[in-house]
Amino acid sequence: MSAVEMQHTDIGEVRKIILAGRLDSAGVDGIELRFGAVIIPVGKHTVVDLTEVSFLASLGVRMFISTTRALAAKGGKLALFGAQPAVMEIIEVMGFDDIVPVVDSEAEAVALVTG
Amino acid sequence: MDEEQTQVVTFARNLEVALDERVHCLEVVDGVEPGRRYVIGAQGVTIGRAPPADIILADSEVSRAHCRVSLQGEQLTVADLNSTNGVFVDGARIAQPTAMPVGAILQVGRQLLKHEWRTRGEILHADEMDRDLDKARSYVNALLPPPIGDGPIRADWLFEPCAKLGGDAFGYGALSDHQFVAYLVDVSGHGAGAAMHSVAVMNLLRQRALPNTDMANPGEVLACLNAMFQMERHAEMYFTMWYGVFDTVTRRLDYASAGHHPGYLTPADRSEATPMRTKNGIIGGRPGAAYKADSLLVPPGASVYLFSDGVFEIVTIDGIQWGLQDFLPLILKPPADGVSECQRLYREVRGVARPSGLDDDFSLVVLTFD
Repeated sequence: MSAVEMQHTDIGEVRKIILAGRLDSAGVDGIELRFGAVIIPVGKHTVVDLTEVSFLASLGVRMFISTTRALAAKGGKLALFGAQPAVMEIIEVMGFDDIVPVVDSEAEAVALVTG
Repeated sequence: MDEEQTQVVTFARNLEVALDERVHCLEVVDGVEPGRRYVIGAQGVTIGRAPPADIILADSEVSRAHCRVSLQGEQLTVADLNSTNGVFVDGARIAQPTAMPVGAILQVGRQLLKHEWRTRGEILHADEMDRDLDKARSYVNALLPPPIGDGPIRADWLFEPCAKLGGDAFGYGALSDHQFVAYLVDVSGHGAGAAMHSVAVMNLLRQRALPNTDMANPGEVLACLNAMFQMERHAEMYFTMWYGVFDTVTRRLDYASAGHHPGYLTPADRSEATPMRTKNGIIGGRPGAAYKADSLLVPPGASVYLFSDGVFEIVTIDGIQWGLQDFLPLILKPPADGVSECQRLYREVRGVARPSGLDDDFSLVVLTFD
């Protein structure tokens, strides 16, 4: 049974989400509603910390893309940062970083969404 | 309130109570009938290969009377009935009656059964979903091409859908008198919806029916599919894909991939595996995206391996997450006598994967060229 942990804090006008665990189908099933609920209604620019995410499946990618689009409709931006090499490899193969920006550090992510 | 109304209300309350009641189940996560569910009552069950076992598993590695599963209070326990091949709980062979907590995996022969504790309402709902999945699974299977055993291009495949059905599909065949096409599609997500999405894509490709598109041009094909299958118009589903066209005269293979890991070309001596991938985004992610293609020459006797990520994104018995680089060395191993190449690779992967069934579809296509 996969369980993904999620925390959120606000850094000024930017919402920061910290995810931890495996974003496989079971993990995404358990978190997708909450993930959207803490980001989309608020409409703030958002950065997502992937440092503690050990695996990313296609459903996780879908969650990021859908949330990014819904947030964009409210004028907000979303960026991912801190992906482990194995997760980064999946991101690069799937080539969705032109839809959801992926950067190395939190500072870069914050600069990207507020810039 | 009259008598008739009172009876109806009483029945509804009883039904609610019955639906809320939790029962212990064994659910097949891998084996002959993935998704099959057995409710374990107070009297327990015997599992075996033939009657009078209560749960009959058609598997030659299962003994006639293999094990006994009993319920004591809320504790599910399994005992080996002196079976030939043993009983395993979470990968460990048992020597005496052993408790099976909720979530434990029972291995009997080649069958894996998971202990679930569900309400009767959940079971009713799950049964309904399973029927839908069975229909979707049958539909996808019906669209897959038959293997090609003879001729200048031979094709073999293995499709092992996971219990939830993962949205994989593939196809191949003649595009013209000198062109042969092959493709593999992996829709995001699981379930009947993902499977039906892959069916819609497959039907277009099978009919060579993409509008204003040269089906021999992989970049054009992917761009057209991207225009037709944007996520926001298709329940937020996207897909990844590999598409290639082989020219039998020039021996050139034109290919393109969209958000997909590479296909691999191996020479007859299996000395190397050449990746075939073009860096393009997923299908459905961004309107108007362009898709690059590439090409290479196929030497005589070479093989092409196409597969979904379910082939290599496994968790091993030791809890290690595998990636593509862990799988590739298996391609270069020599063929096995009496076993197809697809079967060989499937057995290799299942041999290292944790015994809890597939998390995703296992789709593998091997094309061999004279």
